Amino acid sequence: MKKIYYILIALSVLITPSCDESLLDINNENTISSGNFWQTEQDIEDGLVAVYNMFYRQGTWTRNIYTQMQGMADDGVSYAGWTELQEYSKFIFTNYNFSEVNTKIWQEHYVAVFRANQVLDHIENVTFADDKHKQDLIGQAKFLRAFYYFYLTVLWDNVPLILKTSSAADQPEQKTADKLFSQIEEDLKDAVLKLPSTRDANEYGRPTKGAAYGLLAKTYMQHHKWPEAIACFEWLIDGEGKNYYDLTADYGDNFRNTTENNKESLYEIQFSLMNRVGFDQTDNYQDPNAQLGTQIEMNQAPAGIGWNNIEACRWMVDYYKREKTTDGKNDIRLFYNLWYNDAANDFPERTDHLIYGGAWNSDWGNRVFIKKYSTDASPIYYWNDNNFRVLRYSDMLLLYAEALNENSATPPAKAIECLNRVRQRVKLPTIQKSTYYNGTQITANKETFREHLKIERGLELTLECVRWIDLKRWGFDQQKLNELKNRDADFNNFILGKSHCMPIPQIDVDNNPNLKQNENY
Amino acid sequence: MENKTNQKQTKLPKAWQYLLVALLFLSGTLNAVAQQTVSGTVTDGKTGKPLIGVVVVNTANHSQSTTTSVDGKYTISVPENSIIAFSFLGYQKEEVNVFNRTSLDVALKVDEQIMEEVVVIGYGSIRKKDLTGAVSVVKADDLRDRASTDVISSIRGLTSGVKVTSSGLPGQTGYMTIRGLGSLTSNSPLFVIDGMIGGSDMHVNVQDIESIQILKDASSAAIYGSRAANGVVIITTKQGKEGPMKIEFSSQLTVSKLPRYDLMDAETWKIYDDRAYDEAIYSRVAGITQRQNHYEGNTDWQEEMLRTGILQNYNLSFSGGQEAGRYFVSLNRMVDKGALYGTGYDRYGFRVNTSGKKGIFSYGENLFFTTSNRKNLNGNPWSDFIAISPTIPVHDESNPGGYGYGDPDRANNYGRNLVAMQELQEQDNPEKNLRGNIWGQISLFDMFHAKLNIAYVSYQGVTNTLRKKGNWTMGQGSDEPYLTFNSYQSDDILIEQTYNFKHKFGKHDVDAIAGITYNTFKGQSNWTTKLNPLTLGDKYIEALNAATGNTTGGGAYDQAALISYLGRINYSYNDKYLLQLTGRRDGTSRLPKKNRWDNFASVSLGWRISHESFFQVPFINDLKIRANYGTLGSSNIGYYDYQAVINTAPRAVFGSPEYKLVGMTQSRLTNIDLVWEKTTQANIGLDAAFLNNRLRVSMEYFDSKSKDLLVYLPILMTSGNEGGNPAVNAGSLSNKGIEVEIGWRDKIGKDFSYSASLNFSKIHNKILDLGYGRSVYYESLSKAEIGQPLGMFYLYKMLGIFQSEEEIRNYKNAEGKIIQPDALPGDIKYDDYNGDGIISSEDRQIVGNPWPAFEAGLSLSASYKNVDIGINAYGRFNYDVWNGSAAAAADFANNQNNFNGIVPWTQEHPVNDRPRIVFGDSRNSRGDQDRWLEDGTFFRFSEITLGYSLPKPICNKIRIDAVRLGITLQNLITLTNYSGLDPEFLDSGIFTLSSDGCSFPNPKSVLFSLSFKF
Repeated sequence: MKKIYYILIALSVLITPSCDESLLDINNENTISSGNFWQTEQDIEDGLVAVYNMFYRQGTWTRNIYTQMQGMADDGVSYAGWTELQEYSKFIFTNYNFSEVNTKIWQEHYVAVFRANQVLDHIENVTFADDKHKQDLIGQAKFLRAFYYFYLTVLWDNVPLILKTSSAADQPEQKTADKLFSQIEEDLKDAVLKLPSTRDANEYGRPTKGAAYGLLAKTYMQHHKWPEAIACFEWLIDGEGKNYYDLTADYGDNFRNTTENNKESLYEIQFSLMNRVGFDQTDNYQDPNAQLGTQIEMNQAPAGIGWNNIEACRWMVDYYKREKTTDGKNDIRLFYNLWYNDAANDFPERTDHLIYGGAWNSDWGNRVFIKKYSTDASPIYYWNDNNFRVLRYSDMLLLYAEALNENSATPPAKAIECLNRVRQRVKLPTIQKSTYYNGTQITANKETFREHLKIERGLELTLECVRWIDLKRWGFDQQKLNELKNRDADFNNFILGKSHCMPIPQIDVDNNPNLKQNENY
Repeated sequence: MENKTNQKQTKLPKAWQYLLVALLFLSGTLNAVAQQTVSGTVTDGKTGKPLIGVVVVNTANHSQSTTTSVDGKYTISVPENSIIAFSFLGYQKEEVNVFNRTSLDVALKVDEQIMEEVVVIGYGSIRKKDLTGAVSVVKADDLRDRASTDVISSIRGLTSGVKVTSSGLPGQTGYMTIRGLGSLTSNSPLFVIDGMIGGSDMHVNVQDIESIQILKDASSAAIYGSRAANGVVIITTKQGKEGPMKIEFSSQLTVSKLPRYDLMDAETWKIYDDRAYDEAIYSRVAGITQRQNHYEGNTDWQEEMLRTGILQNYNLSFSGGQEAGRYFVSLNRMVDKGALYGTGYDRYGFRVNTSGKKGIFSYGENLFFTTSNRKNLNGNPWSDFIAISPTIPVHDESNPGGYGYGDPDRANNYGRNLVAMQELQEQDNPEKNLRGNIWGQISLFDMFHAKLNIAYVSYQGVTNTLRKKGNWTMGQGSDEPYLTFNSYQSDDILIEQTYNFKHKFGKHDVDAIAGITYNTFKGQSNWTTKLNPLTLGDKYIEALNAATGNTTGGGAYDQAALISYLGRINYSYNDKYLLQLTGRRDGTSRLPKKNRWDNFASVSLGWRISHESFFQVPFINDLKIRANYGTLGSSNIGYYDYQAVINTAPRAVFGSPEYKLVGMTQSRLTNIDLVWEKTTQANIGLDAAFLNNRLRVSMEYFDSKSKDLLVYLPILMTSGNEGGNPAVNAGSLSNKGIEVEIGWRDKIGKDFSYSASLNFSKIHNKILDLGYGRSVYYESLSKAEIGQPLGMFYLYKMLGIFQSEEEIRNYKNAEGKIIQPDALPGDIKYDDYNGDGIISSEDRQIVGNPWPAFEAGLSLSASYKNVDIGINAYGRFNYDVWNGSAAAAADFANNQNNFNGIVPWTQEHPVNDRPRIVFGDSRNSRGDQDRWLEDGTFFRFSEITLGYSLPKPICNKIRIDAVRLGITLQNLITLTNYSGLDPEFLDSGIFTLSSDGCSFPNPKSVLFSLSFKF
């Protein structure tokens, strides 16, 4: 009997499966673990490319930022069939968690910040063969971080500032626009020092010293730091920048996919159609084939052709037509920027009047559609590869004029010269010789010059996501609001003290005790 | 020893008797048979007392029957060699061949089966009467006439404390939770099928099931410790029974229809839509100057998409065997033509279960294989039915692809053409499932058993998509056609070694088990997309080789492992005092190394008071109280959630000529300190049987606390996190509740029997702690706050409708500030909850509770002779539901459709519950307002079954054991005031409960069934 027990015990020990605890050491081998990354120069470079990748997202420069920034400004208006989207462009904010033009823009800007912070946090621990290269990479990362904070600030004013790699439990502190601009300036001042003045053609897409100066100047302008801004413009326009930047002869070259990265461009987002896949592959963060193109055309193409999420305000057509060029024609910028009912009469010398292969539809009546950045596609394709010019030399010239004017008692000659360069490129007379405007009165007085610059900026830089930034810089009061209402009825919904910034996505406000909703929302 | 030989001696002649009977039976049809009178006394086999009212009947001819008198005596006249049956409630039925006897005394044995019912509890089984935990049992007969094609849906309403929801889509399984929400990630219980452990999508054939046991409390489920925090469902499939081969064939035909919204037709809709435009013009909505130039179509999109679903289900099984080897094999065929256009499901299932025994060795094997194909639905028709205008025609040749959709002037509407969606994007989903296990056991001295069980679960699924050229909505880009092949395959292997000791030493009954298990999980996904498939005329070639455009692809591996040591002791003393101790130690690869291992234990006690000598209550047959306390765990998270990884997908463009570079970054944040989630539960229960076991009551009270809940708690968008929220041990939840099951069954006379059972459960959920140090957590419709139940509705409150300019001007806060200065008459008056004079996000407030006050189920059954009827009903009472379909229809802001009979505010006909309708203005139609909350209370007669079994004599004549016909009405009657399509739907998330965002409704169906047993 005992024997059997022994045999049994022996048997059971034998057949007991051995369970080694190391069987549980299973690593995710689908990719590199974060712990093994950020070791080499290549890792840092790849990490930086991931920041650039954030340009190709719905909430950034694929589509939604155009709708929102143009929709709020007085150059764009939305009659989109999507009521909430339309209302957001009209200062009617009902649902603060509305994804398309609120939470998506918010979130994806912070993803970009997260990615830039990872590069900046890790680069210090990596030794580079060439320190200049390392400095260049730091400069690029800081430029990009500043770039995203700039747009966060002009949209929401008071946003959390995060400068270190996030962790899940973070509840970051909200900062005022003033503090945010100061931080953006810090990043850009460093970028200016670290970035090279020029880049080879195969480096296009990476910021240069001039790009950093341009964005830094714009930030100072928003911050009303005129002398600091002037210092930047001096480098760009009078100093070293003179060797690299100038106005193109043809205004239209700034918006064509055949004349990209030209001398008027300080910085532009590189779009491409090389990842040609199906619909809406933009926001798939883990798809290597995600689109690298932009939907700017689809977003703004006329009703029945594209989404028509955004179109232009009529006042611009009238404003362009107020002044004739020196050879007695209409301002070519009207032709390049807008599609409207009278274009064929106004520009009889042009033969290229078709809209994605079709003629003007009389049902459209008085509506004005955005032609800027359209391509020759016929019919329209879902995506296009037209680079978006974020920082343009003519913007710099006009800002320089504005800063100089703000910084002195009367408009300095330099300011007038800058303005005239922009006018003369499109064959308009100098402001002094303008038959429509009273040039001498405008150039004699700081206030009239400032007011006139607002019009010039509107006409030169319309529908480039610049106008909303300008309006914020100039501030809102009852008188300005009345003027804006005349140009764009959307401003009837504008509430002083509230509508100058968007509502922060409620879900983040609710769940972050350090983040307050913007005032009066 | 003596006892054993006795049994053998009686066995042998019995076998001969059967043979003889069988022979006589066959000859019986040939020979005329003489009648004879038999009489005798029927007594209780234990006490010897005479039994009164025992039914005595000739099995071959039910007209020959009688009952016993006050002294237990009977007299019956039957043919020679008849088999007469003696039946009495609470006793086992006895059938005896009279041969040519005239006197026949019978002693009936007490039917222990009611109490001796065995319950499978994981790594063993236990007599139901010895249970010390909370276990519900569903048996094959309960499932017989159910129209469900998946296990989870089939047990709906049958037990207490179990909530089942299903989507109503072909081939899609339901979802169940046990005792509320304990966890924040997955609340699906663990499924164990014939010892194989798996997820909830089991594909197991309902007709193959012998029994389902639902282990609800900690002690019952403790043996599955680390995986059992949400309870355990143990499914046992049918095994062959000793005896000649039995053949069963059953077929079911289910005809089903889906409920429909009462939507406006084009004529009605145009009237309302014109008014919405007039209102927009009047209130100066930007860009609106004229009414729409309506399309001429009149499309009933529901009519286009909904049809009668027809499900055919066939089962054939063979079973039988002897002690040395038993078998059960079955074949299942199911064809489901879905009730939605473009959907369907088709399945073959094969099962082979065998087991055998020789000397000390025994073995068993279960193998189940299914191969199926599903045609997937594209989009959610329940939201698109509302979203699209009825004026849009189904076909419109002027659009790319030839389908109708919105147009800025004619129907400014982004609704999607559902027909086009199905026809332009076709998706097939073939799947293969293999589940099998083989076990071998050595048993010594009938008390020691060593068992090795190896189980294997394999899945292969492919999703084939063909996207044709064409559009289904306004503003859709010209997508290029493509083919996508997407596959997933997984292989799980489970190795279990267990040792069991089971013996009765006098009054001490010991059943102990110890073991080790090792479970591995492996998965692999692959996908390829190719643009521009070639066409032959209108037909696309669906082979990837025949696509000429760009090819993209990808794939990933999943892997995990779990090691567990387990042990359990069941001890009972004299059937009166019951004790169960369970312990388990688990290690999982899903948690970081330092937190990987943890221990889980439970103890439970039972006391059968009715067996005490002092307990002398004649009408109580059995009374047991039990209590238990234990800890369960969960690591129910992704494969690698604590591991931070690099996303290699980002690309960016540089240079002229342009080129792209590969970017790498961490996209998803992780928490590296994850630990086991633990649930501690106390359960007190009582089981009692009264009045000759006719009335049975079982009650439970439980109090459970879940701690370190593993949850993908949403984190702030400012973190920059992408790709899903990181898993975190966030917070604690408490669930307390009671469950009561009361059953009654009785028999009146010899032909009528009936039963009724009622189950009732009530749960109170409370948040004890939230993750990341938060005291409150918000989602768009709900608020979770410490001390409150999960998912309380947190919305703007509507006070009414502004009837006049004056009312708008007079609606001020305490400081006299006009609260809604921009409002127009007909707009909603929102409650300025914080009194600051503006309507802002601060004005949201708790306005509803998604938790039912209680849930109850009822089942009734009765049979008279060969006819039986069963009614199953259940309901949830007194809670709020957010009606997302009403919110989606809203007030014509997006030119969507709406329901017939709505009465919006107008100057001429002012109302106070629905605002004016206006295009292009969403201020009144926001989703996060209490206007969309409704009482969700419902009581549903989920099944009404009528069955007819062919009488035995007729069966005998046609040489068939049994024939049964049945008809079941499913979901035909639902009592509710809820205005949505169906008060029962899948919850969309843990934090957003009872919110019906155009959920799929349950079909109403009629099922016909027919079964034969040979």
